[in-house]
Amino acid sequence: MGYRVGVDIGGTFTDLCALDESTNRLYTHKVLSTPAEPGADVIAGLRALKARYGIEPQAISYFTHGTTVGVNTIIERNGANLCLLTTEHFEDVLELGRLKMPDVFNLFSLRPPPLIPKSRVLPIRERILSDGTILLPLEEGSVLRAVRRARDLGADGLVVSLLNAYRNPAHEERIKEIVQHLAPDLLVILSSAVWPIVREYERTITAVINGYVQPRISGYLSSLQAALRSEGVPVEPQVTKSNGGVMRAELGKRASVDVLLSGTASGVTGASYLARQSGLTQVASLDIGGTSADMALIVDGEPQYGTGERIGDFNLFIPSVAVSSVGGGGGMIAWVDREGVLKSGPLSAGSEPGPACYARGGTRPTTTDAFLVCGFLGQADLAYGSVRPRRDLAHSAIGGLARLLSRTIEETAESIIEVAVSGMYVEITKLFARYGADPKSFALMAFGGAGPMIACFLARELKMESILVPTTPGVLSALGGVVSDSKNDFIRTIYEVVEAEISERLRQAYGELTRDAQAWLRNEQGHKGTPRLRLSADMRYVGQSFEIETPLSERWIRDGDTAAIKAAFHDQHQRIYDYCDREASVQMIHARAVIAAENPKPHFLRRPEEPHDPEPAGGAEVYYDGRRRTARFYRREELRPGAAFMGPAIVAQEDTTTCVLDGFACKVDGYGNLVLCQEGREGR
Amino acid sequence: MAIDKVKLQVLADHSLAAAESMANTLCRTAHSTFVKETEDFTTGLTTAEGETFAAPRSLGATWFVGLDYANVIRMIDDYREGDICMTNDPYSGFVCTHSPDIHLWKPVFHKGEIVCFAVGHVHNTDVGGAVPASLSRTLTEVHQEGIRIPPVKLFRAGELDQQLLDVLLTNVRVRDQNWGDLKALVAAVNTGERKVREMIAKFGIADFRIGIRDLLDYTEATARSIIRTIPNGTYAFHDYIDEDSPGGVPCRLALDAIVGDESIVLDFRRSDPQLSSSMNMPTGGAERHTLLLVAIYHAFYSLRPDMLVNAGMTRPFRCLLADGSILNPRYPAAVGMRSLTAIRLQDVVFGFLAAAMPERMPAAPAGSICIMNVLTSDPKTGRRVMAAIDPLVGGGGAMPGFDGSNGSGGNAGFLKNTPVEINEVEVPIRVLRYGLTPDSGGAGRHRGGLSVTLEFQVFAPNTVITARNRDRTRFQAWGTQGGRAGAPSSFFINRGSPKARVLGNTDICTVEPGDIIEISSSGGGGWGSPFDRPAAAVLADLEQAFVTAEGAKRDYGVVIRDGVVDNAASDELRQRLRSQKVKDHFDFGPEREAFERLWGGANYDVLIERLRSVPVEWRFFLKRKVFDAVAASAKEKGDIGPATIAAIFGGVKREFPQLS
Repeated sequence: MGYRVGVDIGGTFTDLCALDESTNRLYTHKVLSTPAEPGADVIAGLRALKARYGIEPQAISYFTHGTTVGVNTIIERNGANLCLLTTEHFEDVLELGRLKMPDVFNLFSLRPPPLIPKSRVLPIRERILSDGTILLPLEEGSVLRAVRRARDLGADGLVVSLLNAYRNPAHEERIKEIVQHLAPDLLVILSSAVWPIVREYERTITAVINGYVQPRISGYLSSLQAALRSEGVPVEPQVTKSNGGVMRAELGKRASVDVLLSGTASGVTGASYLARQSGLTQVASLDIGGTSADMALIVDGEPQYGTGERIGDFNLFIPSVAVSSVGGGGGMIAWVDREGVLKSGPLSAGSEPGPACYARGGTRPTTTDAFLVCGFLGQADLAYGSVRPRRDLAHSAIGGLARLLSRTIEETAESIIEVAVSGMYVEITKLFARYGADPKSFALMAFGGAGPMIACFLARELKMESILVPTTPGVLSALGGVVSDSKNDFIRTIYEVVEAEISERLRQAYGELTRDAQAWLRNEQGHKGTPRLRLSADMRYVGQSFEIETPLSERWIRDGDTAAIKAAFHDQHQRIYDYCDREASVQMIHARAVIAAENPKPHFLRRPEEPHDPEPAGGAEVYYDGRRRTARFYRREELRPGAAFMGPAIVAQEDTTTCVLDGFACKVDGYGNLVLCQEGREGR
Repeated sequence: MAIDKVKLQVLADHSLAAAESMANTLCRTAHSTFVKETEDFTTGLTTAEGETFAAPRSLGATWFVGLDYANVIRMIDDYREGDICMTNDPYSGFVCTHSPDIHLWKPVFHKGEIVCFAVGHVHNTDVGGAVPASLSRTLTEVHQEGIRIPPVKLFRAGELDQQLLDVLLTNVRVRDQNWGDLKALVAAVNTGERKVREMIAKFGIADFRIGIRDLLDYTEATARSIIRTIPNGTYAFHDYIDEDSPGGVPCRLALDAIVGDESIVLDFRRSDPQLSSSMNMPTGGAERHTLLLVAIYHAFYSLRPDMLVNAGMTRPFRCLLADGSILNPRYPAAVGMRSLTAIRLQDVVFGFLAAAMPERMPAAPAGSICIMNVLTSDPKTGRRVMAAIDPLVGGGGAMPGFDGSNGSGGNAGFLKNTPVEINEVEVPIRVLRYGLTPDSGGAGRHRGGLSVTLEFQVFAPNTVITARNRDRTRFQAWGTQGGRAGAPSSFFINRGSPKARVLGNTDICTVEPGDIIEISSSGGGGWGSPFDRPAAAVLADLEQAFVTAEGAKRDYGVVIRDGVVDNAASDELRQRLRSQKVKDHFDFGPEREAFERLWGGANYDVLIERLRSVPVEWRFFLKRKVFDAVAASAKEKGDIGPATIAAIFGGVKREFPQLS
């Protein structure tokens, strides 16, 4: 028995949570992140856990870690100095991407500069056809020239992505041999090894991102391992992955691309774990911080997965927990345009200088300032006591707008909240429409510093039945790491019409996938538990240009039951697009496997709920919906299970503030979650 | 504005959310890949009178945000709750502008009164007619372009008119796809109706009614505030479509813009008469038809990216169109390929804006949005394959401060390409090259975006290549502020071999096994003098193969040897080139200069003016005759002025006594 520790590094704070395996008690803590000195924050956090809770490093039995090193590398553009080797006459793959521009109305829209400029893209003479046959054998002289040129350009590594290599990796593999012989110090990344999908741009950018972030992630993980060892942590750290799972840090040094979305993904993992625990299956998780608002849908208790998630300027095509940006967070700046209309964003004061009320040099009015002026903030310090918000600064920031609009400051503040909320409403509505889902049947799980503050306003607009504010909304990503399973994805491109003739090919492909997956789990991840193997296929109707993932049964593959495979696809198509065509031919593009093995889960204490009306710690004057009212003020740590009260109320805790509007009933459940229900609705 | 200004953004957001929900519903449930991939559809909400007050921004075509449904709304009387109306007829109200676009509009009632309409359209892959996909430049009459459904009710009080649907689906080539897409569009307008009800519940009927008008007023006010920053005056600009019909002569689109304090008159009357090909753009002569103002949406939104996009943008404009002209054809002129004209017209309006605001506007984008299809067979299985392989769009125009985007951009940034690897599996072709074309971006202080070259080989006899919207092989995307025109587009079969063919603007051809097709789009125009481009930037372009060493020297006056700039040689060369070449604000490229030596502004003006005096049916015919006669006369006499053109016209006309 020991402590299971999760550490998640965010832009401003590093969150820690530690679960005592013997008591199931959860301890949390936050320290400032140290982006300039990666790893120092983790050590500071561990020392704080020891100082505050007496948790000895030696007692840590499991350690998971989410890091933004990879994402920052892409955003700051300070990754590896790479060259790209492509088939001759196809060197513009990164320049062209998929052609579509980021903002199609705007004549000044620009595609982001590629991670490897065209001057560092080197042609290789070879050609493999789409069926894998070799049309032009690899001309090794062109490889020698490319390596020489890469040397001249001072490259740290080479990414090799040849046309149709998803079907036959022979040339890519031969190039790797040659390079390892000629220049063993050069890093070599093969597109066929990183993620062998059809579509040259998507496969290439995935390999490029992997190479681009690898040196920094690998260096970071090495120093983390060393630091943990020196602190006396006896276990090897696990890193959280974009697919919501974890793997050994050692593996992250190679499969670096898998680590990119680790923090956001594990936030959703944490949210879905808490949702399941509270018996909720349809949940929209809403994480609002100072600069961003992200939403993920949890359907039937499971996070949704997608490919094409955004990383900085780029999309990532490995399976990732689907998270959508729905706005700019609490730091969004309000302003009045030339026509006298009140606007919010897209400019954000972020965490530096931050809202005016933070007194860190920001003078422009933000959503957070508006909440302060309306009376929802200011009773307690924010962000673990690091910020004492100043009402006078918020007033003067909003005062300027109030004069422009000829309103009172309070009226203006309320309108700022309204406009900020309606901006998020647009994005959230789009997200639900994309999934063909109805927000009314979802519960909203709000976390992040500003999520619980805005949640009621959004739930009213979206007519969502209930809101759940977890006990520790600030450390959900860290908690997500602790509850994540060991997990990895595998893929083979098939690209055939699904008919009985391909049964053998499918048996072979899924056989390989299964062997690879089991080998990964046993040999690489070193997990001894019982694995769950999930097989699926990316399929489409012939003529369609996008695929949908359909889960498959092992039995269908073994028995060559292609009829069942097709039927599963038709059903899936019906479910997602509201129609299917049972007569049409079905193509299987990729065969996929996901292996997962469960890591021990905490069982949070559920305490009995004793219904009672809790005594408020005070009162507050709040202003919204056009009038002033008196709200009860509570401190979260003083609320016990069974406590129940009606809005308007404010619940403050060290990492967030929950606003309960009137029309909402708030209850504290057995796990300590705040559960808000709109009046006249049953809730869960 | 009548409702609270601080509420207006909230109403705008909810309206946008409604339009986006409609678009997502449509995109998610549409059957055809064409709709999902090219996003050639719209959704939106209009006032009870038909003005579009909400349109999606992240999905769908950019051309229809100012669409006015008033004409077709009036053509149905007695609306009832649950009705959904439909039309695809380009000559019934001019909401639909070519037959593949099926438009729907659904009235939304509140207490028995119509408060607004939920509207939308999809471009169907085919609506019957003379050719598959219903579109070809060669067609001469709208009746060849497929079935025409005038404004009718598809649903009456919620009840589908099955007979009408059967008539429609019997007349099209891929009925399941059409019905699938139509159902998706029905779902979209129903979503729109539901969202409007939610908005009425939130804002109250009174505020909703006034508010949606305020949204239009708000956008109008923003547009007028932009116009206030454009210097008053009259600006003339014109551009050409290479051919007025397959293998034809140039076709001029001309604009005289009169900028007032807060409004602009766009006089297009010096444009060509209506054509006997299908590139006519049906507008009904409307003063603010959306297809006339697409460039305005792009330009104004670019200048004010926070502005609300709706039909209010069109209000400060008044367009003047000649009856029986390419921009206002009379029934039964064919209109299927109006997109080619619409794209060039955008360049004309961009040109006026660049003349009026040289420091704020980009050079011309490539101006080519070519959709490529291959019809071939698999040599192994004999299976016939018809597939869209790639859209070929060119580079964006160079911008004040930035190079144009390569390969696509400007007003053509909405299309996605098809990966080479997908093409090679789906279609029995082999791609030999897919990438940017060196030296194709217009030279300038900021370089125009490069064009794309696609080269592929086919393996079966009777392989048919179609390339819709081919243009700009002759007249180039113009540069501004001393920047040069972008390279023209090109289309070859077996270039450099004895079997070589130059196909120019051909949009359909049949090729043989082993033939190699090479097609390049056009490049975007450059911005500012190329001799002011830092030598280091030219060197960087060379290192990225965006320019060649010859191009660097010829176009930029930068001498690069063994990867190093020869500064002394470059300075000397640049000085010499600067002194020789005094370019105007615009550079249109050598082809246009040559053409205009004969057909310069005044000469063409006389022709247009004279053509307007004859009956519509004769205009295209006589234009050709005059072009031939002028060409012959130029060979003999050389210099030709407006008086000669008038005399030649008179001579040609006299050959047809029935005209006098």
